[in-house]
Amino acid sequence: MATNIPANLKYTKEHEWTLIEGDVVTVGITDFAQSALGDIVFLEVPEVGTHLNNGSTFGVVESIKSVSDLYSPITGEVVAKNSDLEGSPEKINEDAYGSWLIKVKVKDLGELNNLLSPEQYQEFCNTSH
Amino acid sequence: MTTLKTHLYDEHVKLGAKIVPFAGWDMPVQYSSVKDEVLAVRQNVGVFDVSHMGEFFIEGDDAEEFAEYLVTNEISSAPYGKAIYSPLCRENGTVIDDLIIYKLSPNRVLICVNASNIEKDFSWIKAKHEGFKCQLTNRSEEFSLIALQGPKALETLKPLVGDLPDLEYYSVTETSYEGLPVIIARTGYTGEDGFEIFGGHETILAFWQKLMSLKVMPCGLAARDVLRLEVCYPLYGHELGDELTPYDAGLGWTVKGQKTKFIGKDALASKPAKYKLVKLILDKGIPREGYNVLNSQNEVIGQITSGTMSVVLNKGIALARIQIDKAPTDDLFLVDIRQKAYPAQLTKKPFVTGGHK
Repeated sequence: MATNIPANLKYTKEHEWTLIEGDVVTVGITDFAQSALGDIVFLEVPEVGTHLNNGSTFGVVESIKSVSDLYSPITGEVVAKNSDLEGSPEKINEDAYGSWLIKVKVKDLGELNNLLSPEQYQEFCNTSH
Repeated sequence: MTTLKTHLYDEHVKLGAKIVPFAGWDMPVQYSSVKDEVLAVRQNVGVFDVSHMGEFFIEGDDAEEFAEYLVTNEISSAPYGKAIYSPLCRENGTVIDDLIIYKLSPNRVLICVNASNIEKDFSWIKAKHEGFKCQLTNRSEEFSLIALQGPKALETLKPLVGDLPDLEYYSVTETSYEGLPVIIARTGYTGEDGFEIFGGHETILAFWQKLMSLKVMPCGLAARDVLRLEVCYPLYGHELGDELTPYDAGLGWTVKGQKTKFIGKDALASKPAKYKLVKLILDKGIPREGYNVLNSQNEVIGQITSGTMSVVLNKGIALARIQIDKAPTDDLFLVDIRQKAYPAQLTKKPFVTGGHK
Protein backbone atom coordinates (compact mmCIF):
# COMPACT_ATOMS: atom_id res chain seq x y z
CA MET A 1 0.00 0.00 0.00
CA ALA A 2 1.53 3.30 -1.10
CA THR A 3 1.45 5.79 1.71
CA ASN A 4 2.65 9.25 2.51
CA ILE A 5 5.36 9.28 5.23
CA PRO A 6 7.06 12.68 5.71
CA ALA A 7 10.78 12.51 6.47
CA ASN A 8 10.75 15.13 9.24
CA LEU A 9 8.49 13.15 11.58
CA LYS A 10 8.79 10.13 13.88
CA TYR A 11 6.20 7.37 14.11
CA THR A 12 4.64 4.68 16.28
CA LYS A 13 3.40 1.18 15.59
CA GLU A 14 -0.07 2.50 16.48
CA HIS A 15 0.12 4.60 13.29
CA GLU A 16 0.65 7.94 14.96
CA TRP A 17 3.04 10.63 13.83
CA THR A 18 5.03 12.88 16.14
CA LEU A 19 6.81 16.16 15.55
CA ILE A 20 9.52 16.79 18.13
CA GLU A 21 10.30 20.43 18.99
CA GLY A 22 12.49 20.66 22.11
CA ASP A 23 10.56 18.94 24.89
CA VAL A 24 7.16 19.34 23.23
CA VAL A 25 5.83 16.60 20.97
CA THR A 26 2.96 17.20 18.58
CA VAL A 27 0.88 14.06 17.92
CA GLY A 28 -1.42 13.09 15.05
CA ILE A 29 -2.47 9.98 13.12
CA THR A 30 -0.73 8.96 9.92
CA ASP A 31 -2.01 8.99 6.37
CA PHE A 32 -1.99 5.20 6.51
CA ALA A 33 -4.25 5.31 9.59
CA GLN A 34 -6.75 7.78 8.15
CA SER A 35 -6.97 5.76 4.96
CA ALA A 36 -7.56 2.52 6.88
CA LEU A 37 -10.23 4.16 9.05
CA GLY A 38 -12.17 5.74 6.21
CA ASP A 39 -14.53 8.67 6.78
CA ILE A 40 -13.64 10.04 10.22
CA VAL A 41 -16.70 11.41 12.00
CA PHE A 42 -15.77 11.76 15.67
CA LEU A 43 -12.70 12.65 17.68
CA GLU A 44 -12.17 12.75 21.42
CA VAL A 45 -8.88 14.02 22.86
CA PRO A 46 -7.93 14.88 26.46
CA GLU A 47 -8.08 18.32 28.04
CA VAL A 48 -4.99 20.44 28.55
CA GLY A 49 -3.31 19.43 31.81
CA THR A 50 -4.09 15.72 31.47
CA HIS A 51 -1.20 13.43 32.36
CA LEU A 52 -0.48 10.71 29.80
CA ASN A 53 1.51 7.52 30.21
CA ASN A 54 3.48 6.03 27.37
CA GLY A 55 1.27 3.45 25.67
CA SER A 56 -1.93 4.35 27.49
CA THR A 57 -5.07 5.34 25.61
CA PHE A 58 -5.61 9.08 25.43
CA GLY A 59 -8.63 9.37 23.20
CA VAL A 60 -10.65 7.84 20.39
CA VAL A 61 -11.15 8.39 16.73
CA GLU A 62 -14.31 7.04 15.11
CA SER A 63 -15.17 6.47 11.49
CA ILE A 64 -18.74 5.81 10.37
CA LYS A 65 -18.36 2.11 11.14
CA SER A 66 -15.50 1.83 13.61
CA VAL A 67 -14.07 3.00 16.92
CA SER A 68 -10.28 3.14 17.41
CA ASP A 69 -8.34 4.05 20.53
CA LEU A 70 -5.50 6.54 20.38
CA TYR A 71 -2.33 5.55 22.27
CA SER A 72 0.06 8.01 23.79
CA PRO A 73 3.51 7.69 22.22
CA ILE A 74 5.19 9.26 25.28
CA THR A 75 4.78 10.06 28.98
CA GLY A 76 4.00 13.68 29.73
CA GLU A 77 1.38 16.37 30.12
CA VAL A 78 -1.03 17.65 27.48
CA VAL A 79 -0.19 21.33 26.87
CA ALA A 80 -2.51 21.93 23.88
CA LYS A 81 -5.32 20.23 22.01
CA ASN A 82 -6.61 20.96 18.54
CA SER A 83 -10.16 22.02 19.42
CA ASP A 84 -10.97 22.90 15.79
CA LEU A 85 -10.67 19.24 14.82
CA GLU A 86 -13.35 18.06 17.23
CA GLY A 87 -15.93 19.99 15.22
CA SER A 88 -14.58 18.87 11.86
CA PRO A 89 -12.72 15.58 12.29
CA GLU A 90 -13.02 14.90 8.53
CA LYS A 91 -10.02 17.25 8.15
CA ILE A 92 -7.88 14.31 9.28
CA ASN A 93 -8.91 12.46 6.11
CA GLU A 94 -8.08 15.47 4.00
CA ASP A 95 -4.69 16.19 5.55
CA ALA A 96 -3.48 13.75 8.19
CA TYR A 97 -0.16 15.53 8.79
CA GLY A 98 -1.73 18.98 8.89
CA SER A 99 -4.23 17.80 11.50
CA TRP A 100 -2.48 17.56 14.83
CA LEU A 101 -4.45 16.22 17.80
CA ILE A 102 -2.49 17.17 20.92
CA LYS A 103 0.83 18.61 22.05
CA VAL A 104 2.54 16.90 24.95
CA LYS A 105 5.33 18.22 27.19
CA VAL A 106 7.64 15.24 27.47
CA LYS A 107 8.77 14.05 30.89
CA ASP A 108 11.66 11.84 29.80
CA LEU A 109 13.36 12.84 26.54
CA GLY A 110 14.98 9.38 26.42
CA GLU A 111 11.57 7.91 25.48
CA LEU A 112 11.78 9.66 22.12
CA ASN A 113 14.45 7.19 21.06
CA ASN A 114 11.79 4.49 20.96
CA LEU A 115 9.89 6.22 18.14
CA LEU A 116 10.21 4.86 14.61
CA SER A 117 12.12 6.63 11.88
CA PRO A 118 10.26 7.21 8.58
CA GLU A 119 12.13 4.24 7.09
CA GLN A 120 11.26 1.99 10.01
CA TYR A 121 7.63 3.05 9.84
CA GLN A 122 7.49 2.42 6.08
CA GLU A 123 8.90 -1.04 6.72
CA PHE A 124 6.32 -1.61 9.47
CA CYS A 125 3.46 -0.59 7.15
CA ASN A 126 4.77 -2.89 4.42
CA THR A 127 5.06 -5.93 6.63
CA SER A 128 2.10 -5.57 8.97
CA HIS A 129 -0.65 -5.26 6.38
CA MET B 1 -12.95 -22.76 7.96
CA THR B 2 -12.12 -21.29 4.59
CA THR B 3 -14.17 -18.33 3.51
CA LEU B 4 -16.34 -18.41 0.44
CA LYS B 5 -16.07 -15.96 -2.41
CA THR B 6 -18.91 -14.72 -4.59
CA HIS B 7 -18.61 -14.99 -8.36
CA LEU B 8 -17.97 -11.21 -8.42
CA TYR B 9 -15.00 -11.41 -6.04
CA ASP B 10 -12.37 -10.64 -8.69
CA GLU B 11 -14.41 -7.62 -9.81
CA HIS B 12 -14.36 -6.25 -6.26
CA VAL B 13 -10.60 -6.71 -6.02
CA LYS B 14 -10.13 -4.95 -9.38
CA LEU B 15 -12.22 -2.05 -8.09
CA GLY B 16 -9.94 -1.75 -5.05
CA ALA B 17 -12.55 -2.83 -2.53
CA LYS B 18 -11.62 -3.45 1.07
CA ILE B 19 -12.59 -7.10 1.67
CA VAL B 20 -13.72 -8.44 5.05
CA PRO B 21 -15.02 -11.81 6.23
CA PHE B 22 -18.80 -11.73 6.72
CA ALA B 23 -21.04 -14.71 7.50
CA GLY B 24 -18.38 -17.07 6.15
CA TRP B 25 -17.84 -15.04 2.98
CA ASP B 26 -15.12 -12.66 1.82
CA MET B 27 -17.25 -9.62 1.03
CA PRO B 28 -16.51 -6.04 -0.09
CA VAL B 29 -17.07 -3.76 2.90
CA GLN B 30 -16.30 -0.56 1.03
CA TYR B 31 -14.90 0.58 -2.31
CA SER B 32 -14.34 4.34 -2.14
CA SER B 33 -15.86 5.90 0.96
CA VAL B 34 -18.82 4.72 3.04
CA LYS B 35 -20.19 8.25 2.99
CA ASP B 36 -20.01 8.56 -0.81
CA GLU B 37 -21.57 5.14 -1.25
CA VAL B 38 -24.47 5.94 1.10
CA LEU B 39 -25.10 9.25 -0.66
CA ALA B 40 -24.98 7.58 -4.09
CA VAL B 41 -27.86 5.33 -3.04
CA ARG B 42 -29.85 8.08 -1.34
CA GLN B 43 -29.45 10.59 -4.19
CA ASN B 44 -28.54 8.69 -7.33
CA VAL B 45 -27.91 4.96 -7.75
CA GLY B 46 -25.55 2.32 -6.38
CA VAL B 47 -25.12 -1.44 -6.68
CA PHE B 48 -24.32 -4.11 -4.10
CA ASP B 49 -23.12 -7.69 -4.53
CA VAL B 50 -25.32 -9.70 -2.18
CA SER B 51 -24.67 -13.08 -3.78
CA HIS B 52 -23.88 -14.53 -0.37
CA MET B 53 -27.60 -14.58 0.43
CA GLY B 54 -29.52 -17.84 0.03
CA GLU B 55 -32.23 -18.83 -2.46
CA PHE B 56 -34.68 -21.66 -1.81
CA PHE B 57 -37.41 -22.71 -4.21
CA ILE B 58 -40.68 -24.34 -3.28
CA GLU B 59 -42.46 -25.80 -6.29
CA GLY B 60 -45.61 -27.86 -6.63
CA ASP B 61 -49.32 -27.93 -5.82
CA ASP B 62 -48.86 -27.08 -2.14
CA ALA B 63 -46.04 -24.54 -2.54
CA GLU B 64 -48.07 -21.60 -1.39
CA GLU B 65 -49.80 -23.49 1.39
CA PHE B 66 -46.42 -24.70 2.67
CA ALA B 67 -44.96 -21.18 2.65
CA GLU B 68 -48.05 -19.93 4.47
CA TYR B 69 -47.55 -22.59 7.14
CA LEU B 70 -43.85 -21.76 7.58
CA VAL B 71 -44.00 -18.01 8.19
CA THR B 72 -45.91 -15.58 10.38
CA ASN B 73 -46.88 -13.07 7.68
CA GLU B 74 -49.69 -13.70 5.24
CA ILE B 75 -48.83 -15.15 1.85
CA SER B 76 -52.10 -16.32 0.27
CA SER B 77 -53.83 -12.93 0.24
CA ALA B 78 -51.04 -11.44 -1.91
CA PRO B 79 -51.38 -11.80 -5.70
CA TYR B 80 -48.79 -13.64 -7.80
CA GLY B 81 -45.83 -11.43 -8.52
CA LYS B 82 -45.75 -9.99 -4.99
CA ALA B 83 -42.96 -10.17 -2.43
CA ILE B 84 -43.68 -10.53 1.29
CA TYR B 85 -41.28 -9.86 4.15
CA SER B 86 -41.66 -12.23 7.09
CA PRO B 87 -39.95 -13.75 10.09
CA LEU B 88 -39.56 -17.54 10.13
CA CYS B 89 -40.39 -18.73 13.65
CA ARG B 90 -40.16 -21.84 15.77
CA GLU B 91 -43.17 -23.31 17.60
CA ASN B 92 -42.17 -21.27 20.67
CA GLY B 93 -42.30 -18.06 18.64
CA THR B 94 -38.56 -17.34 18.50
CA VAL B 95 -37.10 -16.15 15.22
CA ILE B 96 -34.99 -18.51 13.07
CA ASP B 97 -34.48 -15.88 10.38
CA ASP B 98 -36.19 -13.06 8.54
CA LEU B 99 -36.72 -13.54 4.84
CA ILE B 100 -38.47 -12.40 1.70
CA ILE B 101 -40.95 -14.69 0.01
CA TYR B 102 -41.45 -14.09 -3.70
CA LYS B 103 -44.67 -15.44 -5.20
CA LEU B 104 -43.26 -16.06 -8.67
CA SER B 105 -46.25 -17.89 -10.13
CA PRO B 106 -48.90 -20.38 -9.04
CA ASN B 107 -47.07 -23.32 -7.44
CA ARG B 108 -43.68 -21.56 -7.48
CA VAL B 109 -42.23 -19.66 -4.55
CA LEU B 110 -38.72 -18.23 -4.06
CA ILE B 111 -37.45 -17.58 -0.56
CA CYS B 112 -34.42 -15.34 -0.07
CA VAL B 113 -32.64 -15.84 3.27
CA ASN B 114 -29.70 -14.41 5.18
CA ALA B 115 -26.29 -15.85 4.27
CA SER B 116 -25.44 -16.79 7.84
CA ASN B 117 -28.68 -18.75 8.20
CA ILE B 118 -28.79 -20.76 4.95
CA GLU B 119 -28.06 -24.16 6.53
CA LYS B 120 -30.17 -23.54 9.61
CA ASP B 121 -33.16 -22.34 7.59
CA PHE B 122 -32.98 -25.08 5.02
CA SER B 123 -32.81 -27.92 7.53
CA TRP B 124 -35.70 -26.35 9.47
CA ILE B 125 -37.87 -25.94 6.39
CA LYS B 126 -37.01 -29.43 5.15
CA ALA B 127 -38.02 -30.94 8.48
CA LYS B 128 -41.45 -29.24 8.23
CA HIS B 129 -41.97 -30.29 4.63
CA GLU B 130 -43.62 -33.67 5.24
CA GLY B 131 -47.22 -33.93 4.11
CA PHE B 132 -46.99 -31.02 1.64
CA LYS B 133 -47.06 -31.80 -2.07
CA CYS B 134 -44.17 -29.67 -3.21
CA GLN B 135 -40.46 -29.82 -3.97
CA LEU B 136 -37.99 -27.94 -1.84
CA THR B 137 -34.57 -27.05 -3.27
CA ASN B 138 -31.67 -25.00 -1.92
CA ARG B 139 -30.29 -23.30 -5.04
CA SER B 140 -28.09 -20.77 -3.18
CA GLU B 141 -24.95 -22.03 -4.90
CA GLU B 142 -26.43 -21.61 -8.38
CA PHE B 143 -27.46 -17.99 -7.95
CA SER B 144 -25.69 -14.68 -7.85
CA LEU B 145 -27.63 -11.66 -6.59
CA ILE B 146 -27.05 -7.95 -6.99
CA ALA B 147 -29.08 -5.06 -5.59
CA LEU B 148 -29.39 -1.92 -7.71
CA GLN B 149 -30.64 0.77 -5.35
CA GLY B 150 -31.45 4.47 -5.44
CA PRO B 151 -33.82 6.99 -7.01
CA LYS B 152 -32.19 6.42 -10.41
CA ALA B 153 -32.37 2.62 -10.22
CA LEU B 154 -35.33 2.37 -12.60
CA GLU B 155 -33.88 4.61 -15.30
CA THR B 156 -30.60 2.68 -15.03
CA LEU B 157 -32.27 -0.73 -15.26
CA LYS B 158 -34.90 -0.08 -17.90
CA PRO B 159 -32.64 0.18 -20.98
CA LEU B 160 -30.78 -2.98 -19.94
CA VAL B 161 -33.76 -5.28 -19.64
CA GLY B 162 -35.83 -5.60 -22.80
CA ASP B 163 -38.90 -6.96 -21.14
CA LEU B 164 -39.35 -5.16 -17.84
CA PRO B 165 -42.99 -4.76 -16.82
CA ASP B 166 -44.05 -1.93 -14.52
CA LEU B 167 -43.22 -3.41 -11.17
CA GLU B 168 -44.75 -2.04 -8.01
CA TYR B 169 -42.60 -1.83 -4.88
CA TYR B 170 -42.30 -5.35 -3.42
CA SER B 171 -43.16 -7.10 -6.68
CA VAL B 172 -41.23 -9.61 -8.75
CA THR B 173 -41.00 -10.78 -12.36
CA GLU B 174 -39.13 -13.43 -14.32
CA THR B 175 -37.50 -11.94 -17.38
CA SER B 176 -34.16 -12.04 -19.19
CA TYR B 177 -30.91 -10.13 -19.56
CA GLU B 178 -29.09 -10.62 -22.87
CA GLY B 179 -31.24 -13.68 -23.48
CA LEU B 180 -30.42 -15.28 -20.14
CA PRO B 181 -33.05 -15.80 -17.43
CA VAL B 182 -33.13 -13.43 -14.45
CA ILE B 183 -35.57 -12.81 -11.64
CA ILE B 184 -36.02 -9.11 -10.95
CA ALA B 185 -37.72 -7.87 -7.80
CA ARG B 186 -38.44 -4.31 -6.76
CA THR B 187 -37.04 -4.91 -3.29
CA GLY B 188 -33.97 -3.96 -1.34
CA TYR B 189 -32.53 -3.14 2.04
CA THR B 190 -31.88 0.58 1.75
CA GLY B 191 -35.31 2.26 1.98
CA GLU B 192 -34.80 3.65 -1.51
CA ASP B 193 -36.44 2.55 -4.70
CA GLY B 194 -34.48 -0.26 -6.27
CA PHE B 195 -34.24 -3.74 -7.64
CA GLU B 196 -32.72 -7.04 -6.71
CA ILE B 197 -31.58 -9.15 -9.65
CA PHE B 198 -31.17 -12.90 -9.24
CA GLY B 199 -29.50 -14.95 -11.94
CA GLY B 200 -26.83 -17.45 -12.86
CA HIS B 201 -23.26 -16.50 -11.95
CA GLU B 202 -22.14 -15.58 -15.46
CA THR B 203 -25.33 -13.62 -16.15
CA ILE B 204 -24.95 -11.54 -13.02
CA LEU B 205 -21.24 -11.03 -13.67
CA ALA B 206 -22.09 -9.62 -17.12
CA PHE B 207 -24.83 -7.47 -15.56
CA TRP B 208 -22.43 -6.13 -12.92
CA GLN B 209 -19.79 -5.34 -15.56
CA LYS B 210 -22.42 -3.52 -17.61
CA LEU B 211 -23.39 -1.43 -14.57
CA MET B 212 -19.73 -0.62 -13.92
CA SER B 213 -19.34 0.51 -17.54
CA LEU B 214 -22.30 2.84 -16.91
CA LYS B 215 -20.44 4.27 -13.87
CA VAL B 216 -22.95 2.99 -11.33
CA MET B 217 -21.27 3.32 -7.91
CA PRO B 218 -20.30 -0.03 -6.39
CA CYS B 219 -21.33 -0.05 -2.73
CA GLY B 220 -20.12 -2.28 0.10
CA LEU B 221 -21.59 -3.87 3.18
CA ALA B 222 -20.69 -0.89 5.39
CA ALA B 223 -22.84 1.47 3.32
CA ARG B 224 -25.58 -1.16 3.20
CA ASP B 225 -25.59 -1.34 6.99
CA VAL B 226 -25.78 2.45 7.38
CA LEU B 227 -28.58 2.65 4.79
CA ARG B 228 -30.71 -0.04 6.43
CA LEU B 229 -30.16 1.42 9.89
CA GLU B 230 -31.11 4.93 8.77
CA VAL B 231 -34.51 3.52 7.71
CA CYS B 232 -34.68 1.18 10.75
CA TYR B 233 -34.73 -2.19 8.98
CA PRO B 234 -33.77 -4.96 11.42
CA LEU B 235 -30.73 -7.18 10.83
CA TYR B 236 -30.62 -10.79 11.98
CA GLY B 237 -28.00 -11.25 14.69
CA HIS B 238 -28.56 -7.69 15.88
CA GLU B 239 -32.23 -6.80 16.27
CA LEU B 240 -33.36 -10.39 15.62
CA GLY B 241 -32.04 -13.63 17.05
CA ASP B 242 -32.72 -17.17 18.17
CA GLU B 243 -33.92 -16.09 21.63
CA LEU B 244 -36.24 -13.31 20.46
CA THR B 245 -39.76 -13.20 19.07
CA PRO B 246 -40.92 -10.83 16.31
CA TYR B 247 -42.58 -8.73 19.04
CA ASP B 248 -39.21 -8.21 20.75
CA ALA B 249 -37.95 -6.60 17.53
CA GLY B 250 -40.90 -4.37 16.71
CA LEU B 251 -42.16 -6.79 14.05
CA GLY B 252 -45.62 -7.38 15.48
CA TRP B 253 -47.07 -6.19 12.16
CA THR B 254 -45.65 -9.29 10.47
CA VAL B 255 -47.48 -11.72 12.77
CA LYS B 256 -50.91 -12.46 11.29
CA GLY B 257 -52.76 -14.18 14.14
CA GLN B 258 -55.90 -14.49 12.01
CA LYS B 259 -54.22 -17.08 9.77
CA THR B 260 -55.68 -20.52 10.53
CA LYS B 261 -52.38 -22.33 10.95
CA PHE B 262 -48.69 -21.39 11.05
CA ILE B 263 -45.66 -22.45 13.05
CA GLY B 264 -45.46 -20.43 16.26
CA LYS B 265 -49.08 -19.24 16.16
CA ASP B 266 -50.07 -20.44 19.64
CA ALA B 267 -46.92 -19.21 21.35
CA LEU B 268 -47.10 -15.82 19.66
CA ALA B 269 -50.75 -15.43 20.66
CA SER B 270 -50.01 -15.96 24.34
CA LYS B 271 -46.40 -14.87 24.87
CA PRO B 272 -45.95 -11.26 25.95
CA ALA B 273 -42.95 -9.37 24.52
CA LYS B 274 -39.92 -9.28 26.80
CA TYR B 275 -38.30 -6.39 24.98
CA LYS B 276 -39.13 -3.28 23.07
CA LEU B 277 -37.00 -2.04 20.19
CA VAL B 278 -36.55 1.74 20.29
CA LYS B 279 -35.01 4.28 17.92
CA LEU B 280 -32.54 6.73 19.47
CA ILE B 281 -30.83 9.83 18.07
CA LEU B 282 -27.82 11.44 19.76
CA ASP B 283 -26.70 15.01 19.23
CA LYS B 284 -23.30 14.10 20.59
CA GLY B 285 -21.50 10.76 20.62
CA ILE B 286 -21.88 7.74 18.36
CA PRO B 287 -23.80 4.79 19.78
CA ARG B 288 -22.37 1.36 18.94
CA GLU B 289 -23.64 -2.19 19.25
CA GLY B 290 -23.41 -3.49 22.82
CA TYR B 291 -23.33 -0.11 24.56
CA ASN B 292 -25.64 0.11 27.58
CA VAL B 293 -28.78 2.23 27.49
CA LEU B 294 -29.67 3.94 30.77
CA ASN B 295 -32.74 5.64 32.19
CA SER B 296 -32.62 9.07 33.84
CA GLN B 297 -31.64 7.38 37.14
CA ASN B 298 -28.57 5.91 35.36
CA GLU B 299 -29.91 2.36 35.62
CA VAL B 300 -29.13 -0.03 32.75
CA ILE B 301 -32.38 -0.76 30.91
CA GLY B 302 -31.10 -2.29 27.68
CA GLN B 303 -28.44 -2.35 24.99
CA ILE B 304 -27.78 -0.89 21.58
CA THR B 305 -28.33 -3.56 18.92
CA SER B 306 -27.04 -1.47 15.99
CA GLY B 307 -25.56 2.00 16.00
CA THR B 308 -23.71 4.24 13.61
CA MET B 309 -23.14 7.79 12.54
CA SER B 310 -25.98 8.63 10.13
CA VAL B 311 -24.56 9.97 6.88
CA VAL B 312 -27.79 11.83 6.08
CA LEU B 313 -28.38 13.34 9.55
CA ASN B 314 -24.73 13.60 10.60
CA LYS B 315 -25.81 12.41 14.05
CA GLY B 316 -25.43 9.21 16.00
CA ILE B 317 -28.39 6.87 15.49
CA ALA B 318 -29.22 3.53 17.06
CA LEU B 319 -31.73 0.79 17.55
CA ALA B 320 -31.81 -0.40 21.15
CA ARG B 321 -33.41 -3.38 22.84
CA ILE B 322 -35.02 -2.25 26.08
CA GLN B 323 -36.43 -4.58 28.74
CA ILE B 324 -40.12 -3.98 28.51
CA ASP B 325 -40.63 -3.78 32.29
CA LYS B 326 -37.92 -1.13 32.49
CA ALA B 327 -39.03 1.06 29.58
CA PRO B 328 -38.97 4.58 30.99
CA THR B 329 -42.29 6.42 31.18
CA ASP B 330 -40.55 9.79 30.82
CA ASP B 331 -38.95 8.77 27.48
CA LEU B 332 -35.56 9.92 28.81
CA PHE B 333 -32.74 7.75 27.56
CA LEU B 334 -28.99 7.92 28.00
CA VAL B 335 -26.32 5.91 26.19
CA ASP B 336 -23.18 4.89 28.07
CA ILE B 337 -20.26 5.66 25.76
CA ARG B 338 -16.89 4.96 27.39
CA GLN B 339 -18.29 5.51 30.90
CA LYS B 340 -19.95 8.79 29.98
CA ALA B 341 -23.74 9.10 29.72
CA TYR B 342 -24.87 10.87 26.55
CA PRO B 343 -28.52 11.97 26.22
CA ALA B 344 -30.51 10.28 23.45
CA GLN B 345 -33.83 11.34 21.96
CA LEU B 346 -36.48 8.73 21.36
CA THR B 347 -38.05 8.90 17.93
CA LYS B 348 -41.07 7.01 16.62
CA LYS B 349 -40.40 7.38 12.91
CA PRO B 350 -37.42 6.01 11.00
CA PHE B 351 -34.40 8.34 11.13
CA VAL B 352 -34.47 8.84 7.38
CA THR B 353 -37.42 8.59 5.02
CA GLY B 354 -36.37 6.50 2.04
CA GLY B 355 -37.78 7.29 -1.37
CA HIS B 356 -39.13 3.85 -2.23
CA LYS B 357 -42.29 3.72 -4.30
